[in-house]
Amino acid sequence: MSDIKTEIKTGIIVHQIDTNKFKTNLFAVFLSVPLKRDTVTKNALVTAVLRRGTKNMVSQQQISEKLEEMYGANFDCGIEKTGDSHTLKFYLEAINDEFLPEKENLLKESLDILFDIIFNPLIENGKFKEEYVKGEKQNLKQIIESKIDNKSAYSLERCIEEMYKDKPYGLYKYGYVEDIDKITSEDLYNYYTSLIQNCKIDIFVSGAELQNVAELIQNNELIKGLKERQPANIESDTKKERIDEPKYVEESMQVAQGKIVVGLDILSEQDDVYYVGSVYNTILGGGSNSKLFQNVREKASLAYTCGSSYIKRKKNIIIRAGIEIENYDKAIEIIKQQLEDMRNGKFDEDDIEKAKKLLISSIDSIDEEQDTEITYYLGQELAQTNVPIDEYKKKIQETTKEQILELAKSIQINTIYFLRA
Amino acid sequence: MKIIESSKIKEKAYIEKLESGLTIIIVPKQGTKKKYIIWGTHFGSIDNKFIEPNTNEEVVVPDGVAHFLEHKMFEQKNGINSLDALMALGVDANAYTTNNHTAYLFESTDNFYEALDEFMDYVQNPYYTDENVEKEKGIIGQEIRMYDDDPAWQLYMNALDCLYKENPIKIDIAGTVESISGINKEILYKCYNTFYNPANMVLVVCGDFEPEKILKEIKSRLIPKENHAEIKRFYPPKELVINKKSKETKMEVSQPIFMIGFKDVNDIKSSEEVIKKHIAIEVLLNMLCGKSSKLYKKMYDEGVLLSQPDLDYEFTNLYAHVLISGQTNNPEKFQNELNNAINEFKQNFDESYFNRIKKKVYGDYVCEYNSVADIARMFLADFFKGLNSFDYIEQYDAVTTEYAKQVLEEIFDEKNEIISVVRPKDNN
Repeated sequence: MSDIKTEIKTGIIVHQIDTNKFKTNLFAVFLSVPLKRDTVTKNALVTAVLRRGTKNMVSQQQISEKLEEMYGANFDCGIEKTGDSHTLKFYLEAINDEFLPEKENLLKESLDILFDIIFNPLIENGKFKEEYVKGEKQNLKQIIESKIDNKSAYSLERCIEEMYKDKPYGLYKYGYVEDIDKITSEDLYNYYTSLIQNCKIDIFVSGAELQNVAELIQNNELIKGLKERQPANIESDTKKERIDEPKYVEESMQVAQGKIVVGLDILSEQDDVYYVGSVYNTILGGGSNSKLFQNVREKASLAYTCGSSYIKRKKNIIIRAGIEIENYDKAIEIIKQQLEDMRNGKFDEDDIEKAKKLLISSIDSIDEEQDTEITYYLGQELAQTNVPIDEYKKKIQETTKEQILELAKSIQINTIYFLRA
Repeated sequence: MKIIESSKIKEKAYIEKLESGLTIIIVPKQGTKKKYIIWGTHFGSIDNKFIEPNTNEEVVVPDGVAHFLEHKMFEQKNGINSLDALMALGVDANAYTTNNHTAYLFESTDNFYEALDEFMDYVQNPYYTDENVEKEKGIIGQEIRMYDDDPAWQLYMNALDCLYKENPIKIDIAGTVESISGINKEILYKCYNTFYNPANMVLVVCGDFEPEKILKEIKSRLIPKENHAEIKRFYPPKELVINKKSKETKMEVSQPIFMIGFKDVNDIKSSEEVIKKHIAIEVLLNMLCGKSSKLYKKMYDEGVLLSQPDLDYEFTNLYAHVLISGQTNNPEKFQNELNNAINEFKQNFDESYFNRIKKKVYGDYVCEYNSVADIARMFLADFFKGLNSFDYIEQYDAVTTEYAKQVLEEIFDEKNEIISVVRPKDNN
């Protein structure tokens, strides 16, 4: 499938993805701004307050009732950082009219509700409803504090924070507890009004029978009320500096298992480094054939989980392993050895082929799930790369051993984080 | 092949039971690239005492053996690890173990038949050695440790401890570091030969298939095996009362998490009845504490709940319970308010509310048919419960207000209610 784009106003793009594979239509609206310390908390808070009520549906309860009547249409919202951009995300999923027990038209209704939640919030005395803001401030505090609950996610978050100290990408996507108290309902509303008039807006519709959907959107009263805009530049900074020694960070908590997180920088600036990085990462830690899985888990029996993931937009690779605390030195030694082996070209055409197959298979699966496909095109949109799925596949296929080797030699360990008892 | 159909959602399933006892279910999904296959055996963590068909002897095996066996299925005699071989074909392969079944699966967009060769070969050919069994103990040991640090898992295990006194569902699926230390290759072979008999297994495929053709392909890869018929297993008798009202533990969490359970002690009925009851419970749970419920609104506004609680009904013919769980700063308060809401519902049942939530639940069922993986896993899990997945769509209309009221009285009874709580450590 492809992403048919219509810029309905400067800075506001409708993306139409026609597909008849699903029983549902999925609608998504993304508001994107540069990731910044002074707005990160407000973005998270605004997202939460918006879902509390609109001028037409004044409470969460009323919104839910409306959705339930539509055969359990699902509304969801959240906040994400993708590279150096911060995106407020709003989704609505509704059953395709074809599978309803009785004929109804949920398409227009879905869009109307979604836009109502985002662009028509409940306002009292020229600001967000006081009670909603107060409640969401409390909730947001708890969400931020519950960062420690999942030890594996916490360790990953901490490693990235250390790698990007005082830089946008090191910010926590939900923001900071110390910022919350000073945000008033008035501040937040003022922030919101400027946000929706200036941010980049992407509206996605995925499903069947979407004729004229761009027009339908354009004619929505709330969309008409939005101005043309020149969204701020949200390109991700991928410049890397060479460092002599990695940063070591150790933290204690009452845990049964130790968590190692190793953050790597890709210094290579070769063409197509994004794709080459994918193949490198897959060979290193992408699956059960990878060097990390084979050596840390299968040969040394040190871990149940060990692998790496690739942060394409920031040119980083993150290695993670859960180990017995006393095995830290042994595990680090094996991990470093894998990086060394990659650097010395100890991988063959067969390893590359296997990695490519795995990657291509996951690329082929992108349009088998509506939200995965939307996320892919949003990523392309934010990076302004606009690579169609077929070209992405082709680039992976064309990656050579020389390219991977060049990248392997450019890898440096930025930070080694260890969570222990 | 027997064909079952759901006209409402326009899907069909083809079912074939072979002479060996193996059941094959094919759910064709035209126009999808992804193909999904899952092969399960009716053998899970609760099956620790049984009669071995070959010797007719009663056998008791260490806790965690079904899961251990699952880990050890991939290594082959020729030195190949099948998981690696499947990944090398670019297919996403995996396996998992639950209370009542173990399943092996892969999904692919390409190379399906090459992968099918490897897949069906490894599930039918175990290869255990002293060395490879020993090596796995370190890996599984770390898997157990990972769960030790997982507050949600500890919360769940404690809830089960409250609900049941001796039911084997209380056994941790992976066992303990001690219990798995007693596992050896002889035990694994014994379990394999008992439970990996075709008569105890089901294979489900979902994707763009021609049913006759894929059936032939599967059959041609099967090794002939004798049909062992049903395996005799021993379980403690069904308990009609809970074990204890509550259990608490402390972990490094930011806020308390809770799980409230209601044990379902009612008799097992026909499979249609089971499904009807399941639908009714889902509607009732959403009415009680779903997004538009009065209770949720109140708890959210008072800052007691952060988000809608997770709602679940878990059941086989050995156990059945409702679970309501979430994060809260005040578990007692929530439980109290929940019980008030239940009593209010019993006295005053709002029919239009019921009908609205019923619509929502219908939509949830339809959404399950979006993904080949969800479809195949659903058919497999339902098969081991003796259910036909389409019945969730078909029985939907049979769930009336009167019926829901009856289920409300039956299930949501304070004497069968328990609560498990994980609280933050004091030094936090």
